[in-house]
Parts: sequence; structure tokens; C-alpha cells
Amino acid sequence: MRDVAIVGTGQTKHARRRTDVSQAGLVREAVDAALEDACLTFADIDSVVVASGPALFGAVNQPEKWLVDALGGHMKPVVRITSGGGTGLAGALAAMNQVSSGFVERVLVVAYDKLSEGALQYQISTLYDPFWGREFAVGIMGFAAAYWRARIDALGHTEEAAALVSVKNHRNAMRNPYAHVKKEVTVEDVLASRPLAWPIKLLDVPPISDGACAVILASEDAVPSITSTPAWIRGMAYYGEADNAANRFMLQSVPLQLAAQRVYKRAGIVNPRRQFDVAELQEPYTNFELSYYEGLGLCRSGEAADLIASGATEMEGDIPCNPSGGCMGANPIGATALIRLAEAALQVTDKAGERQVPGARTALVQAGGGWANLRGVAVVGADRN
Amino acid sequence: MDRTTSASMEMRSEGLGTTPSEHPAFAGRIELPYKLTTGRAASVFLAELASRRIVGSRCPSCARVLVPAQDFCAECGTAAEELVVVASAGSLSGFTETAAGVLGLIRLDGASTDLVHRILDAGLADLQVGQRVAARWAEEAQGSVLDIVGFAADDAPAASEEVRPLSDPSDPVIEQPYRLRLDYQHAYGPYYGRLFDEIATSRRIQGVRCPRCECVLVPPREYCDTCFVRTAEWVDVADTGVIKAFSIIHLEFVGQVREPPYIYAEIVLDGAATRLIHTVGGIEVEEAMERLHPGTAVRAVWKDGEPVGTLEDIVYFEPVFDD
Amino acid sequence: MFGRAINRVAVVASAQTKLRDAWSNRQHVDLISEAVVGALKGSGLRIEDVDFVIDCGSDILDGRSISNCGFLGAMGAHHKEESRVEEDGLWGALYGATKIGSGSAEVGLVLAYSKPSESDVSAFYATQCEPFYQRPVGFDHAAACGFQAQSYLASHSLSEEVFADVVAHDWALAAANSAVELETAPTAGDVRASSRVAAPLHELELSRPVDGAVAVVLASKRVAQRVCTDPVWITGIGTAMDQHSFAMRERDSLPACAAAAEAAYRRAGMDGPEGASLAELSASSAATQLMVLEALGLADPGGAARLYSEGSDVALNPSGGSLPADPIMATGLVRLSEAALQLSGRVGHGPEGASSAIVHGAGGVGMQNHCVFTLEV
Ligand SMILES: [Zn+2]
Ligand SMILES: [Zn+2]
Repeated sequence: MRDVAIVGTGQTKHARRRTDVSQAGLVREAVDAALEDACLTFADIDSVVVASGPALFGAVNQPEKWLVDALGGHMKPVVRITSGGGTGLAGALAAMNQVSSGFVERVLVVAYDKLSEGALQYQISTLYDPFWGREFAVGIMGFAAAYWRARIDALGHTEEAAALVSVKNHRNAMRNPYAHVKKEVTVEDVLASRPLAWPIKLLDVPPISDGACAVILASEDAVPSITSTPAWIRGMAYYGEADNAANRFMLQSVPLQLAAQRVYKRAGIVNPRRQFDVAELQEPYTNFELSYYEGLGLCRSGEAADLIASGATEMEGDIPCNPSGGCMGANPIGATALIRLAEAALQVTDKAGERQVPGARTALVQAGGGWANLRGVAVVGADRN
Repeated sequence: MDRTTSASMEMRSEGLGTTPSEHPAFAGRIELPYKLTTGRAASVFLAELASRRIVGSRCPSCARVLVPAQDFCAECGTAAEELVVVASAGSLSGFTETAAGVLGLIRLDGASTDLVHRILDAGLADLQVGQRVAARWAEEAQGSVLDIVGFAADDAPAASEEVRPLSDPSDPVIEQPYRLRLDYQHAYGPYYGRLFDEIATSRRIQGVRCPRCECVLVPPREYCDTCFVRTAEWVDVADTGVIKAFSIIHLEFVGQVREPPYIYAEIVLDGAATRLIHTVGGIEVEEAMERLHPGTAVRAVWKDGEPVGTLEDIVYFEPVFDD
Repeated sequence: MFGRAINRVAVVASAQTKLRDAWSNRQHVDLISEAVVGALKGSGLRIEDVDFVIDCGSDILDGRSISNCGFLGAMGAHHKEESRVEEDGLWGALYGATKIGSGSAEVGLVLAYSKPSESDVSAFYATQCEPFYQRPVGFDHAAACGFQAQSYLASHSLSEEVFADVVAHDWALAAANSAVELETAPTAGDVRASSRVAAPLHELELSRPVDGAVAVVLASKRVAQRVCTDPVWITGIGTAMDQHSFAMRERDSLPACAAAAEAAYRRAGMDGPEGASLAELSASSAATQLMVLEALGLADPGGAARLYSEGSDVALNPSGGSLPADPIMATGLVRLSEAALQLSGRVGHGPEGASSAIVHGAGGVGMQNHCVFTLEV
């Protein structure tokens, strides 16, 4: 097994709607930035992995076949991974395997969604079985709100605790040049914001965004000729859970715990709270971040509200979570998980600018999608395993 | 019940479900509106059709003139930012006829690439590779590639290789409305078939029991997800149950079936180990915020009249409070 | 370096549902679980031994977004590593081989399925075209096949009669393959008499969409040698995508297929296809099947039709190939499954004593994307 590192990252100028670029132009913007970051050209890229949300988001089926021209992918391996909201990380995992196995040396991973093109909630509602509940679906928001409501009773993930996540991530996004929502909010603002799917309120929800992210992965053999500051991927996994399995446990995410266990074992993480310097978590709703704290072992089950209240996950805390602002700053769904990975790489290579966590060397990345049944985890470090 | 049981038993013995289902397919439709962003090259190409100009883009690296204009040269990956105007006539490089009519591949004069478009007023027998064709323009421009109605052989001018710079461009067509409609005939299969049959004929909800974990799965399925063994037994479940989780929907969105506010709920029917997606009704939302909890008992309120065999035969689930 | 690790990955078992026009009495999940259970049955492995699942299906064909998300139970993927590759199943096998080759897993289940009978195959392809230039004029996959056929005939001064021979050859083989549901195979005359749907191509010269699912178990060398007396080794893999605009591509040849083949041969340490016992190919039309044979190096440009009229050293599509049975997202993985079964002598068809195979899969309008595997026993 060869080690794999991130040697370049790029993001677009994310926005509520980009009318200056097509879907192809959007991904190209991120790719150009990543190539520039790595000082590479298309000629250096052996393979391309595209990750994006469902085809219905952009009205283009198998969109990698359109985007190939913008990706310099002509006559190269090009494949698309689609795995719901966490697909950016699922794409990176596919690419990592291509490199680690020796199939190729350098892979361009690009993830995007241009959500302003269509009617998002209806599109997401088509996740549901056409025979079994699609007519009642409210995207995934109704579902997410329902199990948050259950966690309020069972785990104390109160509306106030979730509001603190919103406040923190909005504040952090102020320092992220890629974030397009730049607005500080207070706990009172969040609690008083319009209910969309109670207990989810407007300020618990990230924006709808157009955006793309690109990451270049290279083998341990190829890294030295590219950069002296690689971000090593010390472990990555992406697990699934049958959505309507018998007695599915909804209060904690089993696939998240499975992914974390596997990745922590490989990266030698036994005390996540102490060993991670920073975490980038994909929080499609504020309450998910609370749930991830517990699932990732940053605190014990039922202690997430205390953790956020303690300030530990703030920039100045001992385990800053989402210094980028997370999804709150920008949420181009298919790209969001790859953005988390890219942000983690920036942190451990001391390139995160104003949002840098000083001295960060080991970062935790989390991603997810579907009915909270697809969950990915990665560990990125300045050092190899 | 016996009928579908035997169908299911037959599947088991044969190992292949070759027993034809009694159920017609379930007609599903996904219909979605879009506003698609055209991107720089296409936005100009589409706009210039109103001026009856055909725009290409020149690749600075390989010097090819790409028509219709592309943002990126596919072969070398370079951004092809220089926009040019090519002739609106050229020669036919290929043609075919499909259900969509006669389509041609056309190499416009000055272009390095072919484009695909409709061929007008000609059958296959009239066409030859290499013959001259010219664009025929729509009376009124819509900002669509169909502002060229198609290409026709009559009056096609002689070849001219002139490629002109694009001068005085019109306002670009930066977005196009689009509607995607997809129709499906979803098969019920033996498990959903029986489930919805029973709902339609007797308002009875049935699941299947896993022989290993002994859980009852609703909707029924051939394999238990967790044990990955074949389910073995049909079981009636109640039309009462408990709320596993709920939320109160205020959001309005395109394609929504119910009018907000309403209560989205995932319900575990008594006897089942899986979730049923539905709504809770018969309670005001303010009261629901106070009184509903995970674990609150509910019962199905069936629609009046003949059931048809869908979840919509249940109007909603209403809470059953102890007090 | 290239291919070194993938050399240690084997196909240890596979199974498929019967391929038929319409499985109107069964759902996707029913087909998927049948294939998965069937593959495990022959493998000496249990679902607990499977480390990960890679699945290939299409949201647009299924009528459901992230459809894998709803089918995980039927795939046996509950609480396993899982990813959806939204491309022909052969790319799923590529993912699986790299995952095992990387050393991060030992047993992978790769599955692919389609039920085109539930939806509109032409919309599946048309929606792959960018929406501004190609879609509005009515361009789709059928048109691409027609253009390719016309261009191929013209470039090589061939008569369209050659296509019907290819079709008759493959349908006859499919009729002898119990995995394909087929009453009778059309003769070349029947093919020519079928209606013209994408001139110059007749209906039977295009591949027939069918419903079906296939599952393949891949394993590391360690596991393969333990569970299998006759593991089929993956020796090379290559893949390449052509540009998007069909009108701007080569139309009388498939350069992306040639690039994929070259990469696969290079990784396998082969100079070309010489020595292969059999080839299992995916093609959308009789014309592109000839072009695939040429791109793989099994014939010179324009010469592939002679493999049918004069005979071929390499057994071509012993399973019948994709023309009589094209389960869209599963087609390439069916080819891999078929080739592996033939190499291990577990099916009645295929050349005797076969020791190596070339497997080809494709995706996209006018076969924009290509993947080639080389196998040996
Ligand atoms: Zn160029
Ligand atoms: Zn069970």
C-alpha cells in the first residue's frame, strides 16, 4: 500500500448563483486553481475522478461526459462517483485507491454542484422510494429535523446548542475568502429565525450554492517532485447503512462510527479529542455537527451540547471544528465534502490564511449523505503514518 | 392472500421469480424546472443567432476553430476564449435518420469541427456526404440553437473559408429555461405487489419476518438488510404504531404534495421493526410541538371509499393520547 | 510500477440474473440480490467476508436519486464500505481492483444492474448530452450510432451488408447462452429486414436493451488461492474517455477504446492482443462492434468484418456480447463475468482450453468512454 498525499487544492468563488459560468466552467475554475497550487499542468494528470450530486441537480445525466473537455480529461481515465452529500469524499477515496494501488501516480479529483440551476428540495425528495413515502418527503430536511427532534429528547441536543453551531460557523466563515455567506448571527437570531422543518429553522440551514472544489492526489513516489509540503492522507473510509433496516439506530450513526474506527485504527488515533488539532465536518444542518461530535468521539454520547457550550470547538478551543465555517459559508452539496478535505489539507500545511489553526498538524474530516446512512471519515496530516 | 403466497413460494422453489406479477406497473413521473447557465461561449453563440451569425471559438494552442463555440478545446484542454464568426453554410460530413428526423453533421466554412443539426426538406436518398448546405433561420429568435431551424441544400452559397472576428456582440443569453420530464413504469415485484394488494383489498398492512433476527420488515423485501438471509414468512402488522421521529413542515417548495404546515413523521407500526414514511394529522401544529414525542402512539386514519393500494389510502396517522 | 498491485487481484466468482426484455414482475432490488447471492454461492465466501461493495446503476434509469442509497440492503452492503460508480459496471470492477490492489481490502463485491424496461433508454442517453447545442436538435445515442455506421462504411468502402453478419453471429451465440432469454436468433436476412431506426442501421443492428443484474466477487491473491482452485487473474486494466461533442470526435474509429486497450496491454506487459483466447465486447451497434475490434488491435482498420466472414483466431463474444443483450449499466460487468466463467471452464460456451481474455466495456453517447481488462488463468 503506497501512501497518498494531497499536493494541490482549489476552490471556486462559491455563490448563491453563478451566471458567469456553466457547470463545465465552474469545475474548470476549481481545477485551474488546484493545478496552479500544485504547479502542475493537465499533462501531469494521469486520471480524473468527478464527484457530484444526483444527475437531477443539473439536468445532465453522467455529467462527467460533458465536463471532460473542461477537465483536460481527453483520452484519460475519467469516472464519476456519486454518493449523495458526501460524494466529494467518496470521490477522493476512489482516487486514493487508484494511486495507492499503483494504477496511476497523480489523480485530479473534482467535485461540484450548481444547485441554483433547479428546484433543490423536489430533486432531493426523489431519494425516496416512489412507492414508499416520496410523496411526503421534504428533501432530506423533514427527515433530518425529525431525528434532531428525537435527539433533543434523548441526547439533549437542544435548539440552543444547535444555534451555537450556527453562530460559530457563521463567525468562522467571515474569515474564509471562499465563503459566500458572510453574516454574523446570534443565538437569539437563530432561535427566532423562520421555522422550515421545525426544529430546523432558517439559520440552522446552510445556503444553497454553486461551487466546485478540486484536489490533486499523488503517490509517495510522485510527491517529492511536486511539493515539500504535502498533506498526507492517513486514512479514509466511506460506509453505508441500509436505510430501512430493522431497528436502525437513528440517535447515533453506526456507519459514521464504523468509518471512524477504521480510519482511526490506521492513523493510530486513540484519543481523537487530544490527537486532532482541527476538524472539518460536513454539517448540512447545525444539529448534525452536534451528532458528529459524539459519533467521531470528540465527546461522549449526550455531551455534544456541553462541548459546543464549552467553547472547545471554537477557533480558540482545543478542538476547533469548521474553521472554514463549514457548510454555513457555502454548500454546493456535491463539492462540500471535498471542500472539507481541501480545508483540512490547508490546515495541516499551514496554508489556511486567516482561518489557520496555529500549528495544526493532524486534521479530522467527516462527510455524509443520503438519509444519514452514507458516512465518510478521513484523517489528514503533515506527517505520514 | 393465498394467491400471492403461492407466487412467492414458487419463486423460492425455482430460485428465479418467473411468475408474472398480477400488478400493472406503477406510473411514476419526475418533472423538474431548471434555469441552466449557458457559460461564456454558448451564451454568445446563442445570442448571435438572432443576428444570424454563427459563432465559434478559436483555440489559442492548437488554432482550431471550434463550432459551435466551446469554452474549452477538448483535445488540448486549453480555454478557447477568442470568439469568431464563421459562415452559415458548409458541407455535409454525415447524416442519419432517426425518430427525431434527418440529422446531419455539418462542417461550416471556416470551422475545424463538425456540428450536429437538423437537415430540412430532404430524405436520405437526396443527401450525399460533401454536399453544400446552409442554415435556415427561424422567423423569430428565441435564444436557442433552434433559432437555426436546420440546414438545407437549396441555395447554399459556394464555399468561403473566411473567419471574421466577432464585432459588436449582442447581450449574451446567460441562462436558458429547461424542463426535464422523465416517465417510469416501476415494477411492483412480488413483495410490494402483495403489500399494496392487501392494502387495496383489505386495508391490511403486511410485512415479512426474517428467520434469523425475527424482525418484521415493512415494506416487505426478499432479503433482511442486516442478516442478508431470505425472509421467510408473511406477517400482518397493525395500522397502529408509534412515532419514531417527526418534524413540522413549514417550508414550501416546487413539487410539494401537501400544503404546509403539516407534520412529517416516520412511524413504526406495531409488530414491525422498520419505518413507514407518512404524516401525522388530527392535531394542530402548535399542540403537536408540545405533545408529540418519539414514542407517541398513533393510528392510521384511512381514506373513505375504496382504497387503491398506495400509502395515500391512509390520510394521515392521528395521535392516540393516554389522557 | 503500473499494474504491479492489480496483478494480485482475481475474479473468484460471479453470477447474473437472466437477461431479458423486461423483468416486469421484479424490482431492482430483487434482481440485485439474486445476482449477489448467486455470486457468493459459487465463491466459498459469505457476505461477512465481503469487505466492500461497489455498485453501478443509473439514477436516471432507476427514477430515483442516489438510488444506491435505497438498495444497500439488497446489495449486502449494510454496514460495509460502499460507493456508487455511475458508469458501466466494468468501471466498478476497476474501482474494486484498485481497492484490493492498494492492500486496503481483500474481498470486494462489484455489482451492476439496469431495468431499462421501466424507463426510456433514449432519454437516458439524450440527457447525457449538454443541453444547449445537442439536446434541442434531437441528437441522441441512436443518431450517434447511425453517424458512426455511415462513416465507418464510407471510410472503408464497405457495404452495409457486413453489419447483419455481425448481428447474426452474436445473436446465435446468445441464443445458445442460457443467461440470455432469447427464443430464436434472427438470421442476417431478418436483421436486414428489420426497420431502419438510425440509418444506415436497422433496429437489430443496434444493441437490445434488457433488464438484468450481475455481481462479481474480486479477491486478493491470498484469499483467491484459498477459496478458489481456478482464480482468474486481472493482468491489465486501461480506461480512456473521448471528448464530449460527438460531432467533434472521430466517427469511423474509437480512439478512446484504442487508448484504453493500449493502457491495459501496457499494464499487463503485453504488446497487443496476440495470444488472447477470447474477447468479450460491449458495443451499441454492429458498426461500433467492428470499430471496437479494430481499436483493440484484433483487426486492422476496416478489417474487422473479415473476422466474421473468414473466421477469427480469438473467440469473439462467446456469450453473445452486448448486441443481443445490453443491460446498459451492467453490460461491461457481464462481459467480465462471462469471460471469467469461460476461462475457468464453468460455462458451456467459450473456446476450449482458453487461458486469456480481453474484456471491453463502454459508456456514453456514441461510446464516449471505454474500459479494457485483460484476464488470464
Ligand atoms: Zn486546442
Ligand atoms: Zn434479519
